[in-house]
Amino acid sequence: MDNFEKHIRENASEFDEHKADRSKMWAKISQELEVQEPKVIPLWKSPMLRIAASLLLLLGLAGFIGKQVFGSSVETQYASKELLDIDMHYKSLVSYQVKLVQNNPNLSNEDKTEFLSFMDELDAEYEQLRIEMQNNLDNERVLEAIVSNYKQRIELIENLLKQINNSKLNDDDYGYTL
Amino acid sequence: MRGRIQLKPLETDIRFTHKALVEKCKSGHSSSQYELYELYVDAMYNIGRRMLNSKEDAEDIVQESFVSAFKNLNSFNYESTFGAWLKRIVINKSINHLKKKQLPVVPMEVHEFHLSEDSPEEKVDAMDIKKVKVGIGLLPPGYKQIINLYLIEGYDHIEIGEVLGISTSTSKSQYHRAKKKLVEIINAL
Repeated sequence: MDNFEKHIRENASEFDEHKADRSKMWAKISQELEVQEPKVIPLWKSPMLRIAASLLLLLGLAGFIGKQVFGSSVETQYASKELLDIDMHYKSLVSYQVKLVQNNPNLSNEDKTEFLSFMDELDAEYEQLRIEMQNNLDNERVLEAIVSNYKQRIELIENLLKQINNSKLNDDDYGYTL
Repeated sequence: MRGRIQLKPLETDIRFTHKALVEKCKSGHSSSQYELYELYVDAMYNIGRRMLNSKEDAEDIVQESFVSAFKNLNSFNYESTFGAWLKRIVINKSINHLKKKQLPVVPMEVHEFHLSEDSPEEKVDAMDIKKVKVGIGLLPPGYKQIINLYLIEGYDHIEIGEVLGISTSTSKSQYHRAKKKLVEIINAL
């Protein structure tokens, strides 16, 4: 630092030549400070409001949880009743037709086991859908999937039976032409 | 008693100037806020005038600075004096204001190669502070701030670098360039 710099730094106070308009500036500062401060704090400083807010929060939470528990239980009851009806209907249909296939003398053991393995696959799928149903994930879609699972089984059985009948018919026709 | 003896050396530290007042302000005591304001307003206003060259802008920036200081007083931990902390707020706000107005805060020309030119000491006929004031007033835009920060506000190049967002070495070279210009102007007066 040279002499010039030292001289200025030592006499820096001489550069303060202006006087601030104190009252005018303070008026604006205090106005800003007043506007900002009381906004948030006093609400939470009042114990009554604090209790009220806590109560409101508790009520809200209780209501929400209650609705979740109660509402969902009614829904699952309703859904499982519907499911039970569908289940009963299709189960009897499927088991009847499975019996038909099993008792059919025109089917080889190989065909029967192949058919039953298909049925097992669909059974497994059905079990998974039931678990899904318990988890309450979009009931309607799971229900639809269960129905389509049953329909596939019935279609499978019907196709099989049609095949058996067709082959019978073919045999008869063949016999006729001869 | 023991507590007072232990605290004494700390209390006399320059950083704790007006500590009692600052502490009262921290708890929102408005008459203490005014007392503190009265103590510092002129100094801050003069910084604003030097940095911004305008009465209205200086008033606005100093008002904003006091509001911001009082609102954020809890973050002031006596790492510097209250005055230095407040001064930094005023200077930062002034620089931001100039930048918003797109006024240069440092000289625009390329400066890196001018350092070596400074080596022959120039004779300054500038022991007259009045002449220096006039000379600073005549500096081109961008030169004034760095001269003010270094010579009058007493900032070092690290602080100037922080305030202006430039490196320490750039601050040094810019300052030397500005000082050269100032000396030229003063000598021509």
